[in-house]
Amino acid sequence: MNSHASTVDLPAAVPAQRIHAGPAPYSNPYLAGIGLGLVLLAAFVFVGRGLGASGAASAVVAFGLNAVAPEHAQSREWFAGYLGGGFHPLKEWLVFEVLGLFTGAWISGLLARRVLVSVEKGPRVSKGVRLAMAFLGGALMAIGAALGRGCTSGQALTGGSLLNLGSWAFMLMVFAGAYGLASFVRWQWR
Amino acid sequence: MMAPFLKYGLFNEEVSLVVAFVIGIGFGFALERAGFGSARKLVSQFYLDDMAVFKVMFTAIVTAMLGVTYLSWIGVLDLSLVYLTPTYLVPQLVGGVVLGAGFVVGGYCPGTSIAAAATGRIDGLVAVAGVGFGTLVFAEAYPLVKSFMNSTAMGPQTIPQYFNLPYGLVVFGVVLMAIGGFVGAGWVERRVRAK
Amino acid sequence: MSFSFSRLSTNQRLAALAFVLGLAAIPATPTRGGAVRIAPEELAIAIERKADHVSAPDLADWIIQGRVDFRLLDLRAEAAYATYRIPGAENLPIASLPAAGLALNEKILLYGEDGVHAAQAWFLLKARGHRAVYMLDGGLEAWKNLVLYPRLADAATPEARQRNERLRSVSLHFGGTPTAGAGEGGSEPAVSAAPLPPVPAVKGSAAARPAPKKKKEGC
Repeated sequence: MNSHASTVDLPAAVPAQRIHAGPAPYSNPYLAGIGLGLVLLAAFVFVGRGLGASGAASAVVAFGLNAVAPEHAQSREWFAGYLGGGFHPLKEWLVFEVLGLFTGAWISGLLARRVLVSVEKGPRVSKGVRLAMAFLGGALMAIGAALGRGCTSGQALTGGSLLNLGSWAFMLMVFAGAYGLASFVRWQWR
Repeated sequence: MMAPFLKYGLFNEEVSLVVAFVIGIGFGFALERAGFGSARKLVSQFYLDDMAVFKVMFTAIVTAMLGVTYLSWIGVLDLSLVYLTPTYLVPQLVGGVVLGAGFVVGGYCPGTSIAAAATGRIDGLVAVAGVGFGTLVFAEAYPLVKSFMNSTAMGPQTIPQYFNLPYGLVVFGVVLMAIGGFVGAGWVERRVRAK
Repeated sequence: MSFSFSRLSTNQRLAALAFVLGLAAIPATPTRGGAVRIAPEELAIAIERKADHVSAPDLADWIIQGRVDFRLLDLRAEAAYATYRIPGAENLPIASLPAAGLALNEKILLYGEDGVHAAQAWFLLKARGHRAVYMLDGGLEAWKNLVLYPRLADAATPEARQRNERLRSVSLHFGGTPTAGAGEGGSEPAVSAAPLPPVPAVKGSAAARPAPKKKKEGC
């Protein structure tokens, strides 16, 4: 008989909820808000500008279009500001900030076990329809952000904290537009 | 006055790109922490059962606003060097409505769509693609809307400037409004969830 | 009714904190407006150290090198500026200085006919909180004497010859004429004989001073 059978220490019993741990609950919104506010303040103090997202999209689109169809890109007046001499998306502040956004969100998601390849939608809606709505929403936002000179990050957060008149007007209208249309698209979530 | 550090020569443009990345990390982290990588959570704001969007946004605004006010008051931050987007009143009112519509239709705003894509949400990724597409469309249509876009230009305008109010008083007013809003939001949430 | 701060929830504490900070911010003056703060000791030390002086030959070198990291301001009246200006200079008559909207973080180099107006303008700007303000030592007079019409000493040594060469080439660069022989009491040609430099901010490395490209800073 093998008397050398070593006693293997079993790992301490892991509580069931740890094994099946789902995503962590979201943070207290006020604490998250303070964190966000401090990040914004850091941008003001370090670089003298605020946050943004739509500007990065414009820069990347301008650069991408210029790469595949330079004449077309350069003939569009809207892209002129992004394609002026010496422009390169790798040098655009917002592009770097957005890369960081992606990274930071990913890290937070990993820590909270919330990274999941999925499509957020209601049970009675197909993925395809939901994705089409997401695309449409994105397109509308691009137009709204262009007209408004920014999106919720650039105008509402940044301009809001600087008491910018146009930003507050913009922000109020964002809420108004969203609330106004909400009931018409609620079916996505049912 | 030492801040904004970049504009007082503490570091150069290349380093500011690294700063951008780090700040972006903080930004994305905070967004995801708050749950804004999820369209469901975001649109719940507009169905009144979860007012996190309002709470997070306005807490952030109040925090940064108080920070800016105090830092520039004591002379550390040079507010004249912090970029203030010029106001174009009517285009911004219209743009806000359109963005709000896009927000509730797509379930994301441009920044949160990136956060969602980072946590694997395909609808977030598609929303980002939509933003790109919308940018292309806008660029095509730009000559048509150009004059509208530049109408009612008021230059960089703050609320205290425009209404001729003391800056600090407006700050206090915003704080009061936010606190009142948070109390109201909590009340609305409880009512709606109880239904 | 007894009130205990520790009995409040996190959110309520945050709200109380925000309220207090908001209340305390009412008297804030974040945009200083026309307020002026003077630190006599600091200024006195800076004056003694002559830290804010820039010599005319140095300025000439900077212009030739094409440095654009500073603004050169001519404090004289428009008519004088139109007659002659140092290449790259912008006209800002001293009376318009306070309203000019100069940013506090800009490097500013001031000159006038001699050094007096520059020194007075220096004081105005330092009091406003500008951090990098400099004066051209001797003003336009020094520019004329040392850069445009330098007196070339007898070239006895190689170093002296080199020095003369340098002075000569700089002077010619700016359209002046070097005069040979130290101690010669030759009369100075009138400044109007010096060719007027091209209007700045258009072309050329020495004359033009294009404003740094405005970076997009919006969202």
